[in-house]
Amino acid sequence: MKGKIVSIHSFRGGTGKSNTTANLAALVAMAGKRVGVVDTDIQSPGIHVLFGLDENKMGKTMNDFLHGKATIREIGFSIGENTGGADGRAKLAGKDLWLFPSSIRGREISQILKEGIDFNLLNEGLQSTIKEFDLDYLFIDTHPGLNEETLLSIATSDILIIILRPDNQDLQGTSVTVDIARSLDVPNLVLMVNKALPKYDFVELRKEIASKFHAPVAGILPLSFDLADNASNDLFSLRFPDHDWSKALREVAQAILVIE
Amino acid sequence: MSTDILRQLKKTLIFSGLSDDALAEVAQKATTRRLSKNDVLMKKGEVGDSLFLIHQGWVKIVTVDSKGDELIINKCGPGETIGEMALLDQGRRSATVIALEDAQVLELKNDVFEKILNQRPDVSLSIIRSYSDRLRFSTTYIERAIDWAQKIAEGDYSFVDQTQPTNQTASDDDKATQLLSAFFTMVNRVKEREDGLKQQLEKLSFEIDQARRKQEFEEITSTEFYAQLKEQAKALRQKRHQD
Ligand SMILES: Nc1ncnc2c1ncn2[C@@H]1O[C@H](COP(=O)(O)OP(=O)(O)OP(=O)(O)O)[C@@H](O)[C@H]1O
Ligand SMILES: [Mg+2]
Repeated sequence: MKGKIVSIHSFRGGTGKSNTTANLAALVAMAGKRVGVVDTDIQSPGIHVLFGLDENKMGKTMNDFLHGKATIREIGFSIGENTGGADGRAKLAGKDLWLFPSSIRGREISQILKEGIDFNLLNEGLQSTIKEFDLDYLFIDTHPGLNEETLLSIATSDILIIILRPDNQDLQGTSVTVDIARSLDVPNLVLMVNKALPKYDFVELRKEIASKFHAPVAGILPLSFDLADNASNDLFSLRFPDHDWSKALREVAQAILVIE
Repeated sequence: MSTDILRQLKKTLIFSGLSDDALAEVAQKATTRRLSKNDVLMKKGEVGDSLFLIHQGWVKIVTVDSKGDELIINKCGPGETIGEMALLDQGRRSATVIALEDAQVLELKNDVFEKILNQRPDVSLSIIRSYSDRLRFSTTYIERAIDWAQKIAEGDYSFVDQTQPTNQTASDDDKATQLLSAFFTMVNRVKEREDGLKQQLEKLSFEIDQARRKQEFEEITSTEFYAQLKEQAKALRQKRHQD
């Protein structure tokens, strides 16, 4: 099936969703696919920073589109044509990758939260985005937790990547998310561990988590100061391809690419 | 001069290529020194100007560790030579040598040795030859050691099983062989330690509270919103499946 919707979700905040989404989308685009990235984290959008999109230059956003105030064409921001100065992003020159940013303007944010987003509206929006840009993959960066917006993006996804940190709270929360994803018939459920302390045996960790949730673990990504240091305004996996974090993320990208 | 001494001298690097008569001449110029227990034969840091061949008794080669305690690096006994390089380069002694018991050593002074070199070009030539042999031998080992060190850095220890040091019993003055053997000892230690560390990796133990899991799931799924979403999602998936 062409035009897969891939949602990246986590039960708690700060697990690395935005970094993972941006880097995964970039890796899949590097593999020659046509890729879109939607930021539906309307409460605290942030992924545009990783793609070097200046907030002042941001024109129409997903919010305008969902309110019928803009066409999807007007919103798509081509990363391949605007890589900017960063070393990592520069590798995306000429690739088919578009960002569909969310509004960061306070008034618009509160408006959409008050009204709520309709499932069919969101879904039509995503589907026409896929059609208009002839996308192979559309990645969605979500807001943490299980609120209504995230339930919408889970319900609409073909592939759901749940990111968790290896600690008890995340594992407990993830168990509920996994049950919800199954209840909403998400066809492909993939787990990804981020911020894993190097003291853990990654091989064991992978086995343990996969067997607890009966779902594949596509990658175990280490906690890394290098990433915390360098990730804020560039795509880490492109800038430091030999880093362990980047290597583990390539495994995840590969796992996505092989899903039929 | 006993043939015993001649045989021992011939085992040293410098004299290995000498003919018997040249060797006899060298040995003749050497003087005998008697040591009592705890006598210091040489001190670390002194400029060395002679070679010693131990004839009788044992000596210890010591240095001082960072805490100031004596550290025995090695012990040497009959037939072994100490400080042979000093004959040529007069470098500083790298360690202190102390007699462990009453001992007798043969001392060959640098100035005496030089005189022989001036008189006997054949001796000079054979000494140069043995040095260049050694140099070539050492270079080969250094190149291999560099190669191995690189492999260790990459975590590849496969060469350890394939290339054991050839001859552990090679003569003790064979420094390249000693280096090699020390190198392999080090590699094995590093490997052991690394394997140990791998085993020390922690296992994350976690338990999911199933009652809580079920309760939270029900809280979310029991809403009107959820019921509607589930219907819509189902319809959507069927539609996409048909397309
Ligand atoms: N493996 C890692 N090691 C160290 N720091 C990391 C790692 N992954 C992400 N981070 C850092 O953690 C912070 C949160 O990352 P990110 O914004 O991608 O998470 P998020 O899940 O999108 O957060 P939010 O829930 O707030 O949207 C960032 O500062 C990021 O650089
Ligand atoms: Mg985020």
